[in-house]
Amino acid sequence: MKTEPTLKSPDDFYERLLDAHRGLNADESAQLNARLILLLANQVGDDEVLAECITAAAKPFVR
Amino acid sequence: MPEDPVVLPLAPITKVAGVTTGGAYELPVYPFVEPAELRGKIGRHAVVVVGAGLAGLTAACDLALHGVPVVVLDEDDTVGVRGASSRGICYAQKSLEIFKRLGIYERIAARGVSWSVGRTLAGSDEIFSFDLKSLPTFGASEQPPFINLQQFYIEWFLVDRIYELGTVDLRWKNRLIGCEQRRDAVVLHVETPAGHYELESQWVIDCSGSHSALRSILDVPVQTEHAVDRWCISDVRFRARPPAERWTWIRAPFNDGRAVWQHLMGDDVWRLDYQMAPDADPEQFSQPAVVADRLQRQFGAGVDYELVWVGPYSYRGQCLETFRVGRVFFAGDAAHVMSPFGARGGNSGIQDADNLVWKLAFVLEGKAPERLLDSYDAERRPAALQNIRITTRTTRFLSPQAQMERILREAVISLAREYAFARGFVNTGRLSSPSHYAESPLNVGPGGGRSVQNIALTLPDGKRGDLVDLLEYAAYRVLGLVTQPVDRYFAQELELLEQRYPVRFFRLQTAAVETSALPTVIDADEQLSAELGIAASCACLLRPDLHLAGSLDEAGAPDIEQALRKLLAQA
Repeated sequence: MKTEPTLKSPDDFYERLLDAHRGLNADESAQLNARLILLLANQVGDDEVLAECITAAAKPFVR
Repeated sequence: MPEDPVVLPLAPITKVAGVTTGGAYELPVYPFVEPAELRGKIGRHAVVVVGAGLAGLTAACDLALHGVPVVVLDEDDTVGVRGASSRGICYAQKSLEIFKRLGIYERIAARGVSWSVGRTLAGSDEIFSFDLKSLPTFGASEQPPFINLQQFYIEWFLVDRIYELGTVDLRWKNRLIGCEQRRDAVVLHVETPAGHYELESQWVIDCSGSHSALRSILDVPVQTEHAVDRWCISDVRFRARPPAERWTWIRAPFNDGRAVWQHLMGDDVWRLDYQMAPDADPEQFSQPAVVADRLQRQFGAGVDYELVWVGPYSYRGQCLETFRVGRVFFAGDAAHVMSPFGARGGNSGIQDADNLVWKLAFVLEGKAPERLLDSYDAERRPAALQNIRITTRTTRFLSPQAQMERILREAVISLAREYAFARGFVNTGRLSSPSHYAESPLNVGPGGGRSVQNIALTLPDGKRGDLVDLLEYAAYRVLGLVTQPVDRYFAQELELLEQRYPVRFFRLQTAAVETSALPTVIDADEQLSAELGIAASCACLLRPDLHLAGSLDEAGAPDIEQALRKLLAQA
C-alpha cells in the first residue's frame, strides 16, 4: 500500500469528489461511494494492497 | 440455488397430489427382510453404512465394486426423505464421473437435463451469464458440467445398481438406536419391525444426514451457524417450456424484489425457488393459491401448469469438529451442512464417499495401514469448511443484512449492467467444483491433490474409453501413468511394485509408435497429459478417486516405490 503522495493535484481530486456528491441525499451518496470503491478496487487490481487498504481504513473502528 | 436444498423444512412438507392430477411422484417401496442377526447368526461385518441417502448409497455401491462386503441400514423403506420427494437437483461433473464408475451415469443422463448456461437477472435485465462448457476446468471431461435431476432418482438408480451387484446387504426399516466403540469393532444397536438386534462391524460410515443419531450418541462436537434467509420451493410442470438454462433473479419483480431460481429437472418438472421476506409466514407462502398467484406474475396470466411439490425451508452452516471418531466415519450431511447455493451439499457428500471408500478397501485388503484412514478427515474436513465458506459468501450477497451490505450489493448490480469487471462480484452461487486436497499428507509431488477430469483415451485393449474405464480395467487400483520409455528391466521393476502395492502401471503415449513392455494407453490429442500437467519423462500417480497424488520427473522404481508408500500412508 502506498502511503506517500501519488496524486499530482490532490485538490483537483477532492473537488471532483465533492462535486460528484453535490445535491445527493445520504442514500445516493452512499451509493456513489460504493460504486466508486468497486471501480477503484478494480483499478488497483492487487488483492494484497486492497487488503492493506481495508485494514487501514477500518483502523479507527477496530474494537 | 436452491440447487441443493437439504435442510430444515419450515413446515410439514406438502405433497400436493390431491391438488393437481399426476403431479406427485410415485416412489418405490422396498421390503423389510428380517436380518440374520435376529435369527441368532452373529458375525463381524467389514463395513456398515448408516443411511441410504446420496452419500451412503454411493459409499455402499463403491465398496461393492471394490469387493468389500457391506451392510446398509436405513430407517425408511423408500428413496427420498421422509415423503419429501424433492431435494437436491444439480449433480456436478465430479459426481457424474463417480456415477459413471458406479455404473449409473447412463441412467442419469437419460433421465436428467444437462445444462451449462446460467443467466443472472436483476429486475428484467440480464446482468451476467456464463457457459461452463467453455471453461477448461469443466470442458475436458466426458461428463457434462451439470445434470439436473431430482435427488430421489439418483438414489433410486443407486439402489437398483446395488441390487444388480448383489453383494450389498441393504436393510430397510432398520433404525440405529445405539452404538458402542470397542478397540477392534463397533457394536450397533438396531431397531426393526421384527425386533431389536446388535451387529458388529470393523468400520462404520455414518451417512444418516443432518439429524444423525450416531453423532449425538458419540457426542461429536458440532459448530453451527444459523442463517435468517428462508426460501420456498415450488416444483412445477408446464405445458409451454421455459428454456433449459439456470436462471437466477437477484431481485425478481414477480417476487417483491427478492431472489428467485428457475431450473429444469427430470420429467419436465421445473424447480422454482423463491426467497421469502424475513417476516413471511412459510405456511401461507406455500398455499397453492399463493403459489398460483406467484406463477401468474412470473409467467403471465394464462400460465398452464401442474404443481408437483411445494415446501418452504431454511438452511444453516454446520461442520463436525472431526470426521472420524475411532472406527466411525462421518460423511455427507452427517458431517457438514451448508446453504444450498452452488449445489455443494449433495455433491460434497458424494465426494466424501468417493474419498473414503478406496482407502477403506485398501486397509481391509491389508494393502495399507489403518493410518491411511486418517487422511479422510485431513482431506474432507478442509473441503467441507471451504464449501461452507464459499456458500456463506453467496448467502451474504443474496441476503444482505446490514444497510451497507445492501448499498454495496446495489452498487455491484448497477455496475454489472455496464462493466464486465463488476460481474465478478455478482454471487448467485459458485457452482460445485471438485475439492483440491492441496495440503493432503498423501501428496507425493507437483499437482498433488488436484482432481483430474474424466478424459477420453484409448485403453490397453485398443478400445476407446476414458479414465474411469481405465480405472475399471485396473480393478480400482492406483493408476501409475508413465510417459518415459520403459525397457524390459524397468517394466520388471514396476511389475514387482504391482505385486507389493495396489497399483497398476501403464505407458502413456500420444500414438502407438513405440512397442512397450507395459500396457499402453493412447492419449492422441494430449488432453490427458495437459490435464495431468505432466512432462515427457515422468511417472504420475493417480488415486482411485481420480485425484492426482503427484507426478515424479525422471523417476526410477525406487522413487516410485517411495511415493507409493507415502500415498498409502506406509511411510
